Amino acid sequence: MAYPYTSDHEVRVLSEHFGDPSARTLEGARKNGRYETLKKAFEMGPDAVIDTVKDSGLRGRGGAGFPTGVKWSFMPKDDGKPHYLLCNADESEPGTFKDRELIRWDPHQLIEGCLIGAYAIRAQHVYIYCRGEFFEASAILGRAVEEAYEAGLIGTDIMGSGVDIDVTVHIGAGAYICGEETGLMNSLEGRRGQPRVKPPFPAAVGAFGQPTTINNVETLSAVPHIVKHGGEWYRQWGTEKSPGTKLFCVSGHVKRPGNYELPLGFPLQKLIDEVCGGIRDGHELKAVIPGGSSVPIMNAEEVARCDLDYEGVVACGSMLGCASVIVMDETTDIVKQVRRMAYFYAHESCGQCTPCREGTTWVTKILQRIEDGRGTEEDLDTLVEVTDQMTGTTICVLSDSVAAPVQSSITKFRDEYLALIRRGERVGAA
Amino acid sequence: MSDAKVRNPGWAGNTGEFDLTEEQVRGDDFVGTRPVEGGHPAGTPSYAYMKAERDPEAPLFEGPYQERFEKLLTRYPEKRAALLPTLALAQEVRGHVSPETMARVAELLDLPDAYVRGVTSFYTMYNKREVGRFLIQVCTNISCNLCGADDVLDAFLGATDTELGEISKDGDFTVIEAECLAACGFPTCVQINSRYYENVTPADVPKILDRLKERGE
Repeated sequence: MAYPYTSDHEVRVLSEHFGDPSARTLEGARKNGRYETLKKAFEMGPDAVIDTVKDSGLRGRGGAGFPTGVKWSFMPKDDGKPHYLLCNADESEPGTFKDRELIRWDPHQLIEGCLIGAYAIRAQHVYIYCRGEFFEASAILGRAVEEAYEAGLIGTDIMGSGVDIDVTVHIGAGAYICGEETGLMNSLEGRRGQPRVKPPFPAAVGAFGQPTTINNVETLSAVPHIVKHGGEWYRQWGTEKSPGTKLFCVSGHVKRPGNYELPLGFPLQKLIDEVCGGIRDGHELKAVIPGGSSVPIMNAEEVARCDLDYEGVVACGSMLGCASVIVMDETTDIVKQVRRMAYFYAHESCGQCTPCREGTTWVTKILQRIEDGRGTEEDLDTLVEVTDQMTGTTICVLSDSVAAPVQSSITKFRDEYLALIRRGERVGAA
Repeated sequence: MSDAKVRNPGWAGNTGEFDLTEEQVRGDDFVGTRPVEGGHPAGTPSYAYMKAERDPEAPLFEGPYQERFEKLLTRYPEKRAALLPTLALAQEVRGHVSPETMARVAELLDLPDAYVRGVTSFYTMYNKREVGRFLIQVCTNISCNLCGADDVLDAFLGATDTELGEISKDGDFTVIEAECLAACGFPTCVQINSRYYENVTPADVPKILDRLKERGE
C-alpha cells in the first residue's frame, strides 16, 4: 500500500500498517499480532518489563529524549496509592505530525503500549490526552478503546490475568502548553493548563496528586515491539546512545513531505535528497529546522554534516526534539518565518512567568518592526539580550523555545536581517 | 513520482499515488453516523462534533446529552476533571460558550462561576462568542506558511466576503487563523468544524465552500 509516500530506506516497525484501514479494527489488529505481547508482559511481571525497556535504550519521543525505562523505574512500588499513566497525544509542536498518524492508522498498537506501560508502573488508569483538534483521530481511538473493552482487553481482569487497567480518551481544548507534562496534568484535572513547579516530580506527585508517568504516543507505540522482541533486537537500529527507529516528520519545500520511519543516526542530507526526493525543482536548500519550531535553525553547511540522532544534531548546533524536519529553500524569508514562530509562542504562552509572558510579546513586536522595514541594527542586539533573559528563567521551556530560533537565525542569517534593516531588501518579495 | 492524479481537497494524503477513499482514510466512525450519546464511557467525549443547527438557548443537558454528561462524570476520580469535556459538550449543543453557559456548567460541576470562566478563557477551542455555521480555521504556522498558507487564508476571506473572526452575512462562515494543526506534511491544513481539509491551495477554496453548503458538514 502506497501510504502517501514511502521510501526503501525506511524501517517500518511502528508505521508498518500506515495506509491500511483494516489495521484500525480490532480484528485487523489481532491479525497483525496486537495484544499478544500484552499477554507476554503479564507473564514477565512488571519489573522484567521495565528492565527490557531499559535494555532497549528507548528514549522518550516527545522531544526531551529521556530514557523511558529509567522514567518508569522512578515510580514507587507497593505504596498503596493509585498510579496513573498519561499518554501525551497533545501533538502541537509546529512541524510535528506523527502522533496523529500513529493514532488513526494503528490505534491498537498504542492501546497495547499503554496497557503494558500501565502494568509496568502499576497504574490502574490510563488517560490518553488527545489535543482537541483531533476529532477524527480521537473518534478512531475512542472506537478502538470501546472494542478493546468489549473484548476484555481493557477493564477488570484483563485476559484472565487478574490485572485491572482502565483506559480513557480525554480531549483538550486548544492549548500548546498542555503538551508540557505538568501543564497536561493540570489540564486533565480541569484547570488552566499552566505548568507546575518541579519538584515534586510527577513520579511522586502527579495527576490528581498521585504518582504519575507521562509518555508520548510514539514512545508507548514502540513498547509492544520492544517487549515482544527484547531490548537487544531494538538496538539493531540506531546508535549506541540513540537506539531504535524514529518517525521523521518532514515538511516544507521538499518534493515528498511526510512521515518516514528511519533508524536514528540517519544522515539529514540523505533524508532530504533520497527519502524525500530532494528540494522542489529549481530550488536549493537554505535552512532546516530539525526538531520542530523550538530548536535552533541549521544552515546548509550544518545540514550536510548532520546525523539525525540525539547527540548528532546537538553536535551540529541544534536539537533533535521530536524529529520534525522543516525544510526551507532559498525563497524563504527567514525574518518573516522567525517572526511567525515568535508570534506562535506569544499566542501560546500561558502567562504564568513574567520573562515568557512579556518576552514573547516584545520579541514578536520587535521582529514585526524589522519585518516592516522599521528596524535598526540595535534591535538585533536587543533581541539577543531579551531572549538571553528568557532562557532558564521560567517554570517550563516554552520561553527558551523562542530564544532558539531567534538567536540562531540572527547568528546564521544576520545578512538577511541587515539587508532588510539597511536597504529594505526582503527575500522572496516579488 | 508523478504529480497528483486526483486533487480532492476533502481528505488527507491525496497527493501522489494515494488511492484510498475518504472513508478508508478517516475511518467509518468519523465519516459515517456517530451516536449522539457517545458510546462507551471511555470514549464519550471523543465523539464531539459540532451540530450544524445550534441553539444558544438549548438546555444543558437533556436527553442523550444528559446521558453523555453523566458518563463523563464516571471517568475521573474528581468532578472538576470533567470540566473540559463538559464545556466541549456544552459548546456542541449551544455553538459557543457564553457567560450564561459557563455559569450553568459551574452549577453542574459544583464549581465557582469565576473558576469556570478562568478555565474557559485559557483555551482557544471554546468559542467565547457566536461563530458562523462553519468555523474555518486556516493554519498559518511555519510549515503551512512556507507552502503558501497566507494565500489560502486570503482566498477564504475573499470567497466568504468576511473579515478575520467575523460572521459572514448569510451566517454560514467564520474564518480565523489557527496555530499548528499537526498536519504539516499536507500543507495547507484547514480545519472546518471537526474536519481537516489538507493540501488546500487557493484554487480549492470555492470547491470546499460549495461542498460545505451542499453537504452541511
